[in-house]
Amino acid sequence: MFFRVIAKDRLPDLVRGLSTEFEVVGPVAKGEKFVLAPIEDPASLRLDYDTTVLPPKKWFFPPEETIMRFRVADNEVVDDEVYAPPRVLFGLHPCDVNSLLLMDNVFFGKYVDPYYRARRENTLIVGVSCTPSDTCFCNAWGTDETHWGFDIFLSDIGDSYFASIRSVKGAELVDRHVESRDITDEDTRLFQERTAAFKAAFSNDVDTSQLPLLLDAKFDSPIWEAFGEKCLACGACSMVCPTCYCFDVHDELEADQQHGRRVRTWDSCQFKEFAAVAHGQNFRDTRASRVKYRYYHKQWGYLSKFERVLCVGCGRCARACKANINPVRVVEALQTGVVD
Amino acid sequence: MAPRVVVVSLASDFGCQVQLTNMEDDLLDVLGLMDLTYWQLASSGHMPDAYDVAIIEGAVTTTEHVELLKDVRSKAAAVVAIGTCAVTGGIPALANTAGLETRYATVYGGGVAVAPGRIAPAPIDSIIDVDYHVPGCPIDTAEFLRGLSRVLQGLSDHMPDQMMCASCKVSENACFLEVGTVCLGLVTRAGCKAKCPSLGRPCTGCRGIAPDANLASAREVFARYGCDPASLASSLLVYNTAAEVTA
Amino acid sequence: MDTIMRGTHVSGAVPESTVNPYRPWPARITSIMDLTPQEKLFELRLIDSDAREAFDFSAGQFVELSVFGVGEAPISISSAPSKQGFIELCVRNAGDVTGALHRKQCGDIVGLRGPFGRGFPFEEMKGHDVLLVAGGLGIAPLKSLINHIHDDRHDFGKVTILYGAKKPDEVLFRYQFDMWQHRDDFDLMLTVDQPDDTWEGEVGLVTRLFDKIDVDPENTYGAICGPPVMYKYVIAEMRKKAMDVDRIYVSFERRMKCGIGKCGHCGVGHQYACVDGPVFNYWEAMNLQEAI
Repeated sequence: MFFRVIAKDRLPDLVRGLSTEFEVVGPVAKGEKFVLAPIEDPASLRLDYDTTVLPPKKWFFPPEETIMRFRVADNEVVDDEVYAPPRVLFGLHPCDVNSLLLMDNVFFGKYVDPYYRARRENTLIVGVSCTPSDTCFCNAWGTDETHWGFDIFLSDIGDSYFASIRSVKGAELVDRHVESRDITDEDTRLFQERTAAFKAAFSNDVDTSQLPLLLDAKFDSPIWEAFGEKCLACGACSMVCPTCYCFDVHDELEADQQHGRRVRTWDSCQFKEFAAVAHGQNFRDTRASRVKYRYYHKQWGYLSKFERVLCVGCGRCARACKANINPVRVVEALQTGVVD
Repeated sequence: MAPRVVVVSLASDFGCQVQLTNMEDDLLDVLGLMDLTYWQLASSGHMPDAYDVAIIEGAVTTTEHVELLKDVRSKAAAVVAIGTCAVTGGIPALANTAGLETRYATVYGGGVAVAPGRIAPAPIDSIIDVDYHVPGCPIDTAEFLRGLSRVLQGLSDHMPDQMMCASCKVSENACFLEVGTVCLGLVTRAGCKAKCPSLGRPCTGCRGIAPDANLASAREVFARYGCDPASLASSLLVYNTAAEVTA
Repeated sequence: MDTIMRGTHVSGAVPESTVNPYRPWPARITSIMDLTPQEKLFELRLIDSDAREAFDFSAGQFVELSVFGVGEAPISISSAPSKQGFIELCVRNAGDVTGALHRKQCGDIVGLRGPFGRGFPFEEMKGHDVLLVAGGLGIAPLKSLINHIHDDRHDFGKVTILYGAKKPDEVLFRYQFDMWQHRDDFDLMLTVDQPDDTWEGEVGLVTRLFDKIDVDPENTYGAICGPPVMYKYVIAEMRKKAMDVDRIYVSFERRMKCGIGKCGHCGVGHQYACVDGPVFNYWEAMNLQEAI
C-alpha cells in the first residue's frame, strides 16, 4: 500500500477539491445524532462522529427505489436505467467500510444487481479511524481493521492523518487536491500507538467461540422464546443494519392506471409476513423464530456461503432496539443459555 | 364500463373527503377512471340505487347508519373504508371509554333529547364486511390512490401489518422515547412513512394498533424510557378500542 | 446495450454483467386449460426468438411470472425440458398475481424471468428406478420430471408415481393420468382423502399407497413435492423401504421475491430455496433448520 501524511488543517482542501468532481457525502449532525448526507461546506463534516443512524448502504441500495417503469397495456418495460452520479463517501468507519464488502458478496456474484453495481462503481470510499463507543463490538469479527474496500483511509495520529491509499484514483485525488508528505518512522510509530490505544478501548469482549455450531446445536434453546417476548417486531434493527440486504418488491400504478413502476423497499425478516407464502403458510409465525432467524442467518447462513459473518459489530441495532436486544447480549445468552 | 362510485359519509369531520379534493395533481385522472355518481360533500344529488364501489368515511354511531351500511353492502361489489373513524371507530369511538350514556350526560346534561337512535360508535366492519381499508387521520392521498388502484384491479386488501418504528429509522428521525416523550410508533400500523415524527411531532397512533404489535413489551419500553407505562394504553385509546389497548 | 436478463443461460454476445436479472422477458400466453376450479394450465412462449431458444431448464426449476401493475410470483415449470420453445405453468388462483394471471386471455402478454434454482438431478437418476410422490399442487413441478422421464423412458428402470389429492375434482392433469393408469411402463396410483360417488380409485393419504409398492432400495431415487406437512410422513415411508437419505429428493415452496438469492425471503435454515434449492436431497434437508 501507498502512504501519505496529511495535516488535519489541510483536510478541508481535500473535501473542497473532491467537491469539484464528485458529490461528497459524509457524517453531519442531525439533532443529537449523525447522518450521512451531502456535504455543502467542509466545516459541516463531523469526523468526530460516533455512528450514523443509517449506515452507508442507503447510498448504494436506497430504502425505496424504482427499479423499472412499465406500461400496463402491453406489459412492457419502458425504462430500467439507473441514476448513479459520481460520489465520494467521506469518513466511513472501518465497520462500515467492511460492511460494503459483505454487501458486495450478495449484490454481485452470479447474478449482478445492476442498481447496486452502478452506484458502487461510481462511488469512492474515504475511511476514517474512530474511537469505540459502548455499543461497538467490531473487535469480535476483526472488522475493526480495514485492509481493502477503500480508496483512501485516514488514521488519526494527532495533528495529522496517516493516509493509507489503496487505489490509483485515491492517489490521484490526494495528489491533485491536498498537500501531503511521505511518512516517517515517527508517523508509523504514532500509527501503531494509536492503533494499540484503539484496540484497548473496547468495552465489549464477545465470546464468538463455535458460534455457528452453537446456533445449530442450541436451535431449540429457550433463550429465543425470551428474546421473542421482548422483541417489538418493529424491524428497526434491520433498517439500521449496514449488512441487512433483504428487500421487498411491489408495483405501483400512476393515477391514470396505464403506467407504473416496480419498486423495491428495504424489508426485514422480523416482519411477520416475511416468510409467509400465498396459501397462508407462514414459515416463521412467531417473534421468537424471527429473532432467531436474524442471528442464524447472520452468523451461519451467510457464513456458509461467504466464509464471513454478516455483522460488522457497529452496534447500530443495539442503539435502535427499544426493547434492549443487544447482539452482544444475544451471543452471550447463546453461550451461557441464560438471558439476563 | 367505468365503475360507478359513491362516497358515503357517516360520523366524522369529513377530513378524509377533504383530502380527496386535495389530490389536485391526480384528481382529473382519478375521476376519468370512474363514474362518480354520488358524493354528498361535492354535490347535492341523491344516492343512486345501483353502484359498484362504495367509499365510506366515518364511524357508525346511529341505527340509521347501520341500515344505510346494510343497504350499501347489498348493492356495492366493493366497500372501501377510508380514514381511521371508519377503520377502527377512531375519535367517535372515544365516547365509549367511560360508557356512552355517561358521556352524553356529561357533555349535553340530563334530560336533553340529542342524537336519537344513537348506538355505541363502532368501525364499519363491525356491521358489514369491508373489502378495502385505508387508515389514517386523515388519510394520505397517495395511499388512497394505491388503495383505489387495488380496488379497480380487483386485488386484495393491503393494509401494512408492521409497526411505524422502522420507517422512522429510515427517515433518520430522532427517537422521542429516548428523550422520555410518549410516542406510539412502536405499536402503530406502518404506512405513513413516519410523517409526524419527520415533522418533529411524536406519533399519536392515528393509523391504529398494528396487528403484530407487542404491547406487553412496549409497556416495558415506556417504563425504561421514563414514560408512564399506563400512558401507553391511555394514549392508544384515542384511536383504538379499550379491548385492543389492553391486549 | 441489451439490458434484458437471461438468468443462468446467458450466452453469446451479451456479457452476463450487462444484463438486468430483474427485468422480465415478454411472453405470450398461447394456451389456457382449466384443470380444476382453482387451477389452470398456461402455455407460455417468450416473444424474443433468441431468448426462447436460449431458455434451457431442468425439471424442478421455476420462473418468476410478472403481471405489471400487480407484481411477480414464483411458479414452478410443469412442462418437460425435452419440449422446447414453450413452457407450461400449472397455477392455482391463490393471490393477486396468480389471480391476475387467471383473468388473462389467450394471446395476452405477461413477463417471465428465469429459469431459476436447482432442479432434480435428472442425469444422476438415469439408469435407476424412480419413485415420485406428489400431494396436491405439488404435482406441478413433478409433472416436469415425469414428462422428462417419459420422453427418455428407456434410460430409466421402474417408474412409480404416487399422487394424492384432497378430492376427485382437485386431481390435476387427470386427463393424462387416467390414461396412464393403463400403461405398463408407468406404475401410477392416485388417491383422494374425500372421495365422491364417481371415484373408483384409492382413498386415503398418499402414504397409504406405500403398502402397495415394491421398492429396490439399492437402485431407487425418490422425489417428493407437496404441502409442507406431507414431507415428514412420505420420507418416513421411503426410509422404511430402506432408501438412502441422499437419493430422496424434496422440493420446497418458500416465499420468493427476486429468485436470485438477494431479497432474503426464501431462507430455509442456512440456505436460500431460490438458489440452493428449491430441490434438496434429504441429507441436505436434514441439515437445514426449519426445513421439514
